[in-house]
Amino acid sequence: MRGISVVLKAVIATFMVLISIIPFYVLIYLSMNTPSSNVFGGLLLVPDFHLGNFPEAWKVSKLGRAMINSLIITAGAILIVVLVSSSAGYSIARFRHKGNVTIFNILLVCLMIPAIIITVPLYTLMKDINGMNTHWAMILLTAANSLPLSVFLYSSFIRALPKEVEESAVIDGCTYFTAFWRVTFHFIRPVTSAVIILAGLGIWNNYGQAVFFLQGQDMRTVPLAVSMFFQTYGAQWNLMAAAALIGLAPAVVAFLLFQRYFIKGITAGALKG
Amino acid sequence: MRIFNKLGANLHLFMAVPAILLFGVFFLYPLTQGIGISLTDSNGVTTPNFIGLQNFIDFFQDDRARNDVMITVYFALGSAPLLNLFGLLYALFLDRKLAGRGIIRAIVYLPAVISPLIMGYIWYFILQPGRGYLPHVLTKLGFGNLDVNWLGESSSALVVLILVNVWQYVGMTMIVYLAGLQSIPPDLYEAATIDGAGKRSSLWYITLPLLYPSIKINVVTNIIGSLSVFEIIVALTDGGPGYSTESLSIYILRMLYGSFTGYSTAVALILFLIIIIPVFVFLRLTRKSEYEL
Repeated sequence: MRGISVVLKAVIATFMVLISIIPFYVLIYLSMNTPSSNVFGGLLLVPDFHLGNFPEAWKVSKLGRAMINSLIITAGAILIVVLVSSSAGYSIARFRHKGNVTIFNILLVCLMIPAIIITVPLYTLMKDINGMNTHWAMILLTAANSLPLSVFLYSSFIRALPKEVEESAVIDGCTYFTAFWRVTFHFIRPVTSAVIILAGLGIWNNYGQAVFFLQGQDMRTVPLAVSMFFQTYGAQWNLMAAAALIGLAPAVVAFLLFQRYFIKGITAGALKG
Repeated sequence: MRIFNKLGANLHLFMAVPAILLFGVFFLYPLTQGIGISLTDSNGVTTPNFIGLQNFIDFFQDDRARNDVMITVYFALGSAPLLNLFGLLYALFLDRKLAGRGIIRAIVYLPAVISPLIMGYIWYFILQPGRGYLPHVLTKLGFGNLDVNWLGESSSALVVLILVNVWQYVGMTMIVYLAGLQSIPPDLYEAATIDGAGKRSSLWYITLPLLYPSIKINVVTNIIGSLSVFEIIVALTDGGPGYSTESLSIYILRMLYGSFTGYSTAVALILFLIIIIPVFVFLRLTRKSEYEL
């Protein structure tokens, strides 16, 4: 009996891994094949290792510029999200006055509203504030979109944290404001890393808004550059695959680097609410 | 000066103000503006006229719009239950002691990290009839007759989209369930075993009720996510064949590109109701069962 269940477990585990990984394999395989009309003409599992697709796709798709744009927008927005939502989460969790309760409830309801719903009026707003095709407006916009979830994560985590954390600092002469930045902020690092990954990936992958507000060629982000490239070079699958692989690499690398904190942060933040 | 001192000492009470200001400008303000725009015949160019609820009436009289509502609902009815079922099964399996389970969890989660647009293109490489990887494998294995145009048939295209969506986000659902499973104290299971409970009744009477917070988060996020589905469709079918996979989000954007600005804003508000109603119904229905615990 025991032997069978071990084998069964291994089979299920292998199956789960294969299902998740095969599409990535196909992408790598395609991106390393020589350009030809019969894309899968050669061997089924081993590509031709034609690495020339990568530099060519990089050059034609202007992914370099797109990566810089995505990086500026994501980094800027994350910085704002972490500062603004951690302090909001702290105030909401510790000082339950009417204003804070209202703010929290508004954010909680808006957690359920997908961003596409405000696209049209946002378009007018972005024009009015001269925010079209600018990094700063996109940073503020994507940061605002990530606020409900991050405030929710921070406030539920801080609520579970003992009050003594900042109270001893207050006795030593801090105000509650400075105590937060000097003391509490260090205790909430697990949520900060979860917020950085969750919000960061959402912003890095944002397409629905970037497609409207970043129309200039020099302002394109990675998803925009990849989709533009696909629309223009639809027939050259090898180049497309190479571009897609380059485009998704940063997200994969970031996830693999941070995934331990990530799972911890979700566990800590999400379920205490 | 006194006022400033007092303000400084009470700064902690106002630390949520920057958040609500930023959110107000880029979310709440446009949201309220949208309600106004939806009552006009705005086309983005000429001065809009107030037309009352005409856009909403037009929506319910339009066959294509009604079709898109059904498509969106079908997509969610397919996606949300499958995501939760597989997410839970994956979590139950990976919660056990297992060599390399940390790596397996990360691999299962990996697809959710990637832009759904790029993910859609990858599946396009796999599924495209005649040229894709799957037809190629099938032909090599001697099943060439199975090379069907899955994405080109209106009967199967929506099913493919649902499966790709479930495949991509099952890891996200799994992680939330895993977090829930880890928060259940193990002595509850020990006590149940001592009282003679089997594995199945432990699952039914301990695990599932105590997983309620995770179930809540997952069901709500899956309802929201699948009813506003957009990028995967853009990459895989672009709403086709015909309008057979055109979701409401796609419809909104097409109406917007077609300069029906007022109308598309009205549709966006309808989509908002379509999302918020099932969420509230679900939260209402399950709230009672939470108290019973």
